[in-house]
Amino acid sequence: MSSTLQGPVDAYADVSAFYDDFERWLAAGPPELVNAVAPETSTSGQMAGMRDLMKALYSEGWSRYGWPVEMGGLGGTIYHRAAMWEALARSGVSKMGAFEHLEVLGPTLLSLGPAEFVSAVFPRFLDGTESWAQGFSEPDAGSDLASIRTRATAMDGGYVVTGRKIWTSWAHYATWCLLLVRTGTAESRHRGVTAMAVNLKSPGVEVRPIAQADGNDELAEVTFDDVFVPADRVIGAVDGGWAVAMDILSHERGTFPWFRHCFLTSQLQEEIEFAAPHADALLADAILDLASSGAASAAGLQSHNEDSPLGPRAAFTKLLLCSAEQSLYDWTIATDGDIAADPADSSAMETRQRYMFSRIVTIYGGSQQMQLDTIAKRILRLP
Amino acid sequence: MIDPFAETDSDFLGSTLAALSTVAPEEALNSLGWSDLLPHLDDADARQALFGLFRAQGRLLVNSSALATLMAHPYLANGWGSTSHVATIQRESPRHGSRTVIMSTPPIGNLLIDRPGEGVRIVASSEVAIRPIDLPGHVNLQEVEVDLVGVPIAIPEEEAAILRAQSQYLGRTALAFDMLGASESALKLAVDHARDREQFGQPIGSFQAVRHLLAWARVDCAALSAVAEQVIDSEEQFLPGYDAIVKALAGRNGQRVCQRTLQVLGAIGFTTEHQHHHFYSRILCMDSLLGSSAALSYELASKYRTSMGAFPDVTLHAAVQAN
Repeated sequence: MSSTLQGPVDAYADVSAFYDDFERWLAAGPPELVNAVAPETSTSGQMAGMRDLMKALYSEGWSRYGWPVEMGGLGGTIYHRAAMWEALARSGVSKMGAFEHLEVLGPTLLSLGPAEFVSAVFPRFLDGTESWAQGFSEPDAGSDLASIRTRATAMDGGYVVTGRKIWTSWAHYATWCLLLVRTGTAESRHRGVTAMAVNLKSPGVEVRPIAQADGNDELAEVTFDDVFVPADRVIGAVDGGWAVAMDILSHERGTFPWFRHCFLTSQLQEEIEFAAPHADALLADAILDLASSGAASAAGLQSHNEDSPLGPRAAFTKLLLCSAEQSLYDWTIATDGDIAADPADSSAMETRQRYMFSRIVTIYGGSQQMQLDTIAKRILRLP
Repeated sequence: MIDPFAETDSDFLGSTLAALSTVAPEEALNSLGWSDLLPHLDDADARQALFGLFRAQGRLLVNSSALATLMAHPYLANGWGSTSHVATIQRESPRHGSRTVIMSTPPIGNLLIDRPGEGVRIVASSEVAIRPIDLPGHVNLQEVEVDLVGVPIAIPEEEAAILRAQSQYLGRTALAFDMLGASESALKLAVDHARDREQFGQPIGSFQAVRHLLAWARVDCAALSAVAEQVIDSEEQFLPGYDAIVKALAGRNGQRVCQRTLQVLGAIGFTTEHQHHHFYSRILCMDSLLGSSAALSYELASKYRTSMGAFPDVTLHAAVQAN
C-alpha cells in the first residue's frame, strides 16, 4: 500500500484538518476522480469509475478513516467518513454507487456479523475489490417486508436457500449479498426472518439486470435455486434478522443523506448559471428544501456519532431529502429544457437521468407512505 | 394526552414553558434572567435560551417585550440608547402604505425607528400615539402613529445599516422560533382531535388520509426546527443569509401546518371557540412582519440567480464545530 498518510488517527483527530487535506488532494485532480465525475450514463461505466476511485481512496488512506483498525481502517469517527463523502460530493461525485452499501451495510456487518467472516471480507469491500448488495424486497414483499418468502432450510454445515429477490441494487456488480430469508414458518412474519451473507458467485444464483426508465440498470432480480450458505455466514441471530434489517435501515440515514445533500447542493451551485427568472418560485423551494435536508442530515450524523439512534425520527431525514431532490430537479428542468435533448449528448442525458432518478427517491429505501405511517404511529402515536 | 414533541424538547424548553405558564410574561422573563443573556449572543448556549423563549411563547400563545428588546440590542450594544429602548418594525402594504408597529406588551419604552436610507431616530413613547391592534393569536401588536418631520437622526445611516441587518437577523430568527412553537401547538391540537373524534365507529386518526396529513405537518415542524436550531448551534453569531432562509421556511411551513391541521379539525377548527384560529392568526401575522415567506423566497431566488448573494450553505465543518 502506498499510503501518503503517516501516523495514527490522532494526526487527524481534527476532522476539519482531514477535510482540508483531502480537499487539497482532490483539487489536484487525481485521474480516478476525473474519470469518476466525467459524464457517464451507463450503470457499468458509473460502477467502474466508482470502483477505481474507491481503490485509489483506499491506497491513499482517505477512505480508511472512520473505520476500525482491525477491519482495514485507520480509526476515527463517522465524521471522518461524512467529511470524505462531503468533499467527494462537492467535487462532483453524484452517487456512492454500490459503495452506498459500504455506509449502509458496513456498520451493521461490523456490529452484528460474525467477527471472523467480517474481518476477512470487510477490508475487500473498503478497498474497492468487492462490493455488496442488499437482498430485502421480493415480488410479493415490498413495503410489507415481514412477508418475505425466500426460504433457508438448515442442513449439515449451513443452509440451502431458495427464492427470489427483486429491486436489488448493483447485484450484478456485487460479490456478496446481505440476504433476508425465512427460517421460521410462513406465518412467523418478522419473528422467523434471518439475515445471512450469500456469495452471489455461488452455484444456483442467477442475476438478471432490470432496464430502468432513467436509462440505468442498477436494479436486478436475483433468483436463488438451492444455494448453499455456510452456517458462519449468518448475521445476527438465527430468526433475529428483523433486528439486523432495522439496524441497517437506521444507517441508511447516516452518512448517505449527508453525502446526497452535499451533492444536490453542489448541483444547485453548478446549475445556477443557467437559471431562468421564470423558475424563481421553484428555485426558492429548492433552496428552502435543501436547507431543511441539510439541517436534518447534519442532526442525523450527530445522533450517529453520539450512538443515540434516531429511531422513527430517521423518517424526517428521508422525507426531507426526497423533497429536496425532487424540488431541485423540478427547478432544473423548468429552467433548462434539456430534458428533450438528443440522448447522444452525454451531459444532456445526464440531466435527464438525474431528473428521472429523482422521481423514484420517494419509492426506494422505504416508500414515502411507509415513512409517513412510521411518523403517524411511532411519533404522533395515532391509533 | 400524547405530546408529539416530548422526544425532541430540551429540558430548557420545558422550564421556559413552565415559567411562562405560571406567571405573567414579564415576570417569567425576569425569573429566567432572559435579558441578562443579551450581551452573550455570541454564545450558543445563550442563544439557545434567548430564542427558546420565543418557541415557548408560540406554543403557549403569550407575548412579552422580548422581541422589541432583542431587536433593539444591536443598537444598544454599540452605544446607542439605553436598555429602556425598544425596536419598531415597518410593516409594508402597497395598498395602505408603510406602518410603524411594535410587538410588545406595555409599558413601552423609547422607540428606535430605523428607516433604510435615512438612519435611526429615537422617539419617546410619550410623544407618540400607540394603538393596540386587536388581532387573534395574542400577538400584542401595537401600531405607532408618529410624525417624523423635524425629528433628528440619532444614528446616521452609515452606522445604522449594519446594526439594522443584525437587528433584522435577530428579529427574523425570533419570529421563526415563535412560529415554530405555534405550529407545534396547532399540530398537537389536531393530533389530540384525531385520537378523540370518532366517525364510522373509529377514531379519525386511524384513517390513512388523516394520518398522512398530520405526519406531513410533523415533518414540516421537524424541518423548521432543524434549520432554526442551526442558527443557534453555529459557531457564527450571524450566519450570512440564514435569517431569510429561516423566516421564509417558518412562513411556508407554518402556513402548511395550519392548513393541514385545520383540515383534520374540520369545522370546529374554524370557530372562535376553538384555539386553532389563534395559532393560525399568530403565524399569519408574524409571516407579514420582517419579510413574508413569499417576499423572502422571491428575494432568495432572484438574488442567488443574479449572483448577488452566495448560497447559504452549511458545511460539515460547521456542523462538527457546533458539537
